[in-house]
Amino acid sequence: MEASSSSTSSPPPPPPPSIPASSAWADASPLLDAACRDLQDGELIHGENFSLFGAMSALEIMDPKMDCGIEKSGYYSIDEAIEDGIAPVPLSLDRTLDIQRTLDVMDHLFSCEATWHKGHTLAQTVFTCIYLMRMERTSSHAILNSFCRILRATCYAVVSVVSTARTHEEEDLFTMSFGLPLRDEGDEKCLSILNSVEETIARQLRACKAQALSRKKTLEGLESLQDNPDLEEDYCRALLCRLRFRKHFYHVVTCLRKPHGRGLELARKHVASCLTELSLMLNSRDFLRSQSNNTQQQGDEICTTASGVRPVGFDASLNSRLLSPAPPRAVKLLSWSDAIRYFEKLLRDLDIICSSPLDPVLENVLHFVVQFQKSVPDLVPRAFLQTLLVQDGKLYGRDLSCDVISRALSLPDIIGDKEFQMNEFVVQLGQLEFALKREFGETRNVLPHENMCMRVSKQLLVWTQEHTYWVAYRFLILGFELDLYSPSEYCMVYWYMYVVLMKLIEQMQLRILATRRKGKKKKDHSKDSSRDTAFPSSCLLLQCYVLLSEGLSMMLAALRNESNSFQLPSIFNSEQEHFDLLQKARLPEHITYYSFRESASHASIADLTKYNFFKEIHKITPSLRGSFASEPEKLAEIRQIEQVAEHNRIALNIISQVGAGDPSLRVSFEFTHHPHFAVAVVKRS
Amino acid sequence: MSAAAAEATERGEPSGGGGEIAYVSYGGEHHLPLVMSLVDEELSEPYSIFTYRYFVYLWPQLTFLAFDPKDGKCVGTVVCKMGEHRGAFRGYIAMLVVLKPYRGRGIATELVTRSIRVMMESGCEEVTLEAEVTNKGALALYGRLGFIRAKRLYRYYLNGVDAFRLKLLFPRPDPGMHPMMMLGNERDDQHMDSPYL
Repeated sequence: MEASSSSTSSPPPPPPPSIPASSAWADASPLLDAACRDLQDGELIHGENFSLFGAMSALEIMDPKMDCGIEKSGYYSIDEAIEDGIAPVPLSLDRTLDIQRTLDVMDHLFSCEATWHKGHTLAQTVFTCIYLMRMERTSSHAILNSFCRILRATCYAVVSVVSTARTHEEEDLFTMSFGLPLRDEGDEKCLSILNSVEETIARQLRACKAQALSRKKTLEGLESLQDNPDLEEDYCRALLCRLRFRKHFYHVVTCLRKPHGRGLELARKHVASCLTELSLMLNSRDFLRSQSNNTQQQGDEICTTASGVRPVGFDASLNSRLLSPAPPRAVKLLSWSDAIRYFEKLLRDLDIICSSPLDPVLENVLHFVVQFQKSVPDLVPRAFLQTLLVQDGKLYGRDLSCDVISRALSLPDIIGDKEFQMNEFVVQLGQLEFALKREFGETRNVLPHENMCMRVSKQLLVWTQEHTYWVAYRFLILGFELDLYSPSEYCMVYWYMYVVLMKLIEQMQLRILATRRKGKKKKDHSKDSSRDTAFPSSCLLLQCYVLLSEGLSMMLAALRNESNSFQLPSIFNSEQEHFDLLQKARLPEHITYYSFRESASHASIADLTKYNFFKEIHKITPSLRGSFASEPEKLAEIRQIEQVAEHNRIALNIISQVGAGDPSLRVSFEFTHHPHFAVAVVKRS
Repeated sequence: MSAAAAEATERGEPSGGGGEIAYVSYGGEHHLPLVMSLVDEELSEPYSIFTYRYFVYLWPQLTFLAFDPKDGKCVGTVVCKMGEHRGAFRGYIAMLVVLKPYRGRGIATELVTRSIRVMMESGCEEVTLEAEVTNKGALALYGRLGFIRAKRLYRYYLNGVDAFRLKLLFPRPDPGMHPMMMLGNERDDQHMDSPYL
């Protein structure tokens, strides 16, 4: 451990003024010196409970790679930085420059906010702004003050959404606020404060337009923003779109949090307004660039302001001492253009959430989430969706999960039966079969018909299995999206997908049969007839996935058998261990590595060309097109499936003609036509 | 933690001089500065001397060094640990480094293979590590050894890069006897391995 012992000869310095004079102080240097003589630099006394966490929590002071508190800016405190004049109020005594600089601060904060959303700390992004850290200083500067106040209130609201949703498993830096001044009295008035500032500038803008028409030289009765009348209108516009963006974004955040999704419609209007203001912000760039000093401009790919000028009032290392005792994390701020793009995407994702019909049908809710996920939403929109879907443990804070599942099971007879709802087995899906048996024993006297109970239990079981396989399938395809599979593993992954999909179809058909039987019994129950015809087409779509999965798996197996490619390494383990990791969920039962090896070992290119899985797909897709005619997403999916099938069919033909064993043959797999189903690319060297 | 020794995927011509590389197991205090300077130089994550001591003091048999016999220079090292982790005996590769001019000669593979052998002989059931998703060389190296990508860790490193958690399962002696594996048993692994999150 580093210990300084240089102060032995010189007299000890007087105690700092913060220490009360009444305390008695003793010199501990001799004791420390003695302790230091026993231990060499870097040595440590090892205790039984010394953990890796303990070792890694030790930081070497003054090592720039480790010590995030190390002095970089030269300021010991915010106050010192302010005294040094790095955050003046007003930002300049030249009124035009003051407005320019205010706009730069707004833009830089915008870039900081986007960077924060992308997974950095508030302390190292938004709160590097000294105006925000000491907001009371800006009270004389109405524009900057109103902007900072609503930004701070928005940050607070977003932190609260993300903490509530808990969707940020590995992005937990997001909600850490390190004692920053995130909230203050008067922040609830941020909207009215901003509105009055906005109103003043809007009036000024109207006056500018009127003056341009009447060609008058002076602006009567109104306080101008700055001194150059020719620039007044453009500066008004540049400020207004930035202030209005903040206002609408704050509305979006608060509307989305309204209980039972009641604010969605209004939120959607504000999302549209935000997008309009964003494009106006982009439009203001040319004017702001033209007014700024060219020598200070940075390149577009790094500059964090529209004008291209570095802003005043920020210090990146001021909060470094507030961070957790850990090595400093590198923060590269998004550029202003990237921040605009980030917010555009964020707003589009939020718009999808706003478009939620608050459908209480579980299948549709799941479909909505799957569709939402396709746009790869960032943390903030994910958190908003989560808080919309689950409030107080209920769907949209409205429907009990028991009701939702009963509906999914089509159990109209007993939905209203309170005693049925009291039964735990509706909730405890995880221990389904077991729980059911137990519950029957206990409720025999309560429920009027044991028969009905048996029927419900069977339906519940089928339904649960179907959804478990659906989740297993989602889990497997997620591996493609996260780039977790290597080409040598594709063969078993596709085989596993094929098995899970087959099971999924099986359960789906069982469920459809059960509901149909019920429909026949009850003549008046005819409104489900449209669903009866809809189910087979979703089954057929799954059938396409089955064919693709099996085809790809067998093609890869044949290549392994005949050309010795796509083999897994076998230094420390074999293919079985790779398979075991896929099989952690133990689904379906009785499927083992040996079942996979059994089916893969006989695969040959010759057989594959005889029974061509990829050709089979083309027999299914025409009828699918008909049934999905009104659903453009599904039609696009079918087109992708057909392309994958066609490319692989051709590849298979070429391999079969050349011979899989031909040493000049090179086969690789690419995800050029579908995110989860690969296309074989054949080359000859 | 960080594990990165980008072994060139394609075996290019060795540029760092010929001759057989000498591999030695960690032999005591005199090796510590060699390990530290190599890791400090090549890896993005900073480690204090206590972190190094934690590893080499508790598991000296899992740390190896590679020397160029021509000038006796230390050109590569691997640092590991092992222990109980959620009911399994697990090896963990903490750091792997080979100096740039010596890459592409199989030195990293040899170093890591030696460590894994000792882990296997000591009864480990699996080996894990993290590698940057952008470190193609390291990913290929571990892929060749049979590691699979078990998980993607968002912004795992201080420099903001995602990591893959790689996992190597050893064959079980009796496949019929192992206990039922449970779903989702590695939810907060990363909290064990990196206190910086």
